[in-house]
Amino acid sequence: MVRHRKLGERIGTFFMFAGPTTLIFTVVMVLPFLYGIFLTFTDWDGQANSFAFVGFQNYRIALFDPVFWTSLWLTLRYAIVGVFLTNAVAFFLAYILTSGVKASGFFRAGFFTPNLIGGIVLGFVWQFIFSRVFPQIGRAMGWTLFSTSWLSDPNKAFWALVIVTVWQYSGYMMVIYIAGLVSVPGELLEAASIEGAGSWAKLRRIILPLIRPSVIVCFFLTIQRCFMVYDLNLSLTNGGPYRSTTLISMNVYQTAFLSRQYGPGQAEAIFLFFVVAGVSLAQVYFGKRKEVEM
Amino acid sequence: MTRKRVVAMLLILSLFSFSAFADVHITLLNTKAEIQAQLEDVAKVFSAESAGITLEIQPVQASESPFQALSTLYASGNAPSLAMMDPADIPLFAEKFLDLRNEKWVKDSTDDFEAVKTKSGAIMAFPLTVEGYGLIYNKAVLAKAGVDPTKIHTTAALEEAFQKIQASGVDALIIAPMDWSLAAHFLGVAYSVTARNQAGLESFIADLKAGRADVSKNKAFVGLLDTFDVMKKYNAGKSDPLAITLDECPALLGRGKVGFYFMGDWAWPALSSFASDQNGFGFIPVPLSNNASDFDNSGIPVGVTKYIGIDKMQNTPEQQAAARAFLDWLVYSKSGQNALVNTCSIIPAFRNIMLSPTTPHPLSESIRAYVAQKNTLFWVSIPAPDHWSKVGASMQKYLAGKIDRRRLYAEINDFWKSTK
Repeated sequence: MVRHRKLGERIGTFFMFAGPTTLIFTVVMVLPFLYGIFLTFTDWDGQANSFAFVGFQNYRIALFDPVFWTSLWLTLRYAIVGVFLTNAVAFFLAYILTSGVKASGFFRAGFFTPNLIGGIVLGFVWQFIFSRVFPQIGRAMGWTLFSTSWLSDPNKAFWALVIVTVWQYSGYMMVIYIAGLVSVPGELLEAASIEGAGSWAKLRRIILPLIRPSVIVCFFLTIQRCFMVYDLNLSLTNGGPYRSTTLISMNVYQTAFLSRQYGPGQAEAIFLFFVVAGVSLAQVYFGKRKEVEM
Repeated sequence: MTRKRVVAMLLILSLFSFSAFADVHITLLNTKAEIQAQLEDVAKVFSAESAGITLEIQPVQASESPFQALSTLYASGNAPSLAMMDPADIPLFAEKFLDLRNEKWVKDSTDDFEAVKTKSGAIMAFPLTVEGYGLIYNKAVLAKAGVDPTKIHTTAALEEAFQKIQASGVDALIIAPMDWSLAAHFLGVAYSVTARNQAGLESFIADLKAGRADVSKNKAFVGLLDTFDVMKKYNAGKSDPLAITLDECPALLGRGKVGFYFMGDWAWPALSSFASDQNGFGFIPVPLSNNASDFDNSGIPVGVTKYIGIDKMQNTPEQQAAARAFLDWLVYSKSGQNALVNTCSIIPAFRNIMLSPTTPHPLSESIRAYVAQKNTLFWVSIPAPDHWSKVGASMQKYLAGKIDRRRLYAEINDFWKSTK
């Protein structure tokens, strides 16, 4: 049909359909990002009417700040635990809900609902649960683990963040896993059963390899969301107790807006961008290499 | 025919545009969350009384500092016409605020404006509230325990008072574990006593930043933290001190479940909703030593805590004029004075406002008494924007028993050495 169209025509068609979105994306994401990189080489404090160039000073300040690395390390631990737990729970739920349980549609909707609640509201609800409900129950039943608010202790607050993250995202990932599981051809599984494969063997050798694309997508989404989390961090712990659960996005925000160090704050943000981009792209690349095509 | 129609339409359209021009819309950024509802009422009264001006009150999130909120608004091009800020934040926005030195109310104010004057003598903001803080006590609880609040001028006397209250069957005090309360207000007493005035504060901070001053060798800090140790021992929330919320504390004090609560007079709206005796509260100073004749054991910090600046960069001249009209209205009109004194329960910083509160406000009465007896300490607004958060975190660790006194001193010293 229209095979050898001129380049100009193809560009014209592209902009006719994708133009508005590309324009908005460029203006809202790309330009501020580039402007941000430019600002990291200046000493502008966000208020003054003029600024001077300072070279790599902001990067030096940001990357030599021990608080930045503590926060990044904390976020890394949170992301690893969060990603694995979320995906494990999501896959487990998806597996059960595709194995012919009654009312699975109702359960799917139910498990998905936490994802619809925004991070701020979710944080406040769980903050109430951790600091008011659990201690009451814990004291009444004599369970020392729950007698004090989980949000008063740095380790327990960390796990509180993980629990709420898993609760929020496993429903969403479950839906993606269900789509993946449902697309595994039934004949393959039947053939395997006839040849004497048990459930565990079927899971390991047939299902998991075939749902690899879903796994890659889910890991990508959870990694990105865990690394960049802010709303949940703010509403559940607000970085507390005593700034011990300040994850990296909150650290960037506080450096820039609380401590009024805009240059170092922006430098931290740029660094964070490259870390997350690097991790996500690496994960997708290594995941896709071993993908099985049907 | 058509020409007449066009002219008629133009006339009608111009009438609409007239009313659009006449109605100036100004905004006030409110950083005092406890009076948000009251300020909205005040805005309604002002808008009704002022032809063509509508005032809208913008709230700030509880977890944001005033500085964070205002910088974000300027950055997004939505700067409010009036911004209520802490004294230490005003100089940071001096380039963006209107010079108010020729306003009528400058001469009628009790404030010296030192905190908000530029080097050229321009006055950058309007003093909104005079406030004070200290140990708020519940008269009924103290009376029942046989404690005389006017006789507590040493740490030992305070501990004795706590013991008596405990013996009468009630918890001695409740400590609000908020970082801003512990670092900006409680530790503020030590900064205030060391500095004595704005110049003294600047030199003390300079010494801390250079490492020439060490808080572990500062009598005020040592004495204040000794008192804090006593407070920790009798804290009603000591089994899980960081889990106490800000709402619980006035409830406990108001209902007579504790005897003392360290906070400022801005806690009155919350406190009065729980109090059976609306007059039954007052302030005592936080003692810093065991020497009863020390002046610092008799005074509470009192000062202007919130200033309002008018934006000149992102607001039109009409909006700036309307904003100045609002400030004049607050000081000189009957309904404006009523708004300050009665609706918002504020102690105004103006000599000409003679109005007394119609509803009881024992905390502001207590402050007026300290002011009348000249028993006030210099109100410190700490010139580091993240002091309340970082040193507040250190104080919270100390409150929860995670670090000892030596570590706390080290963290406070390190904070100043690493701040620009």
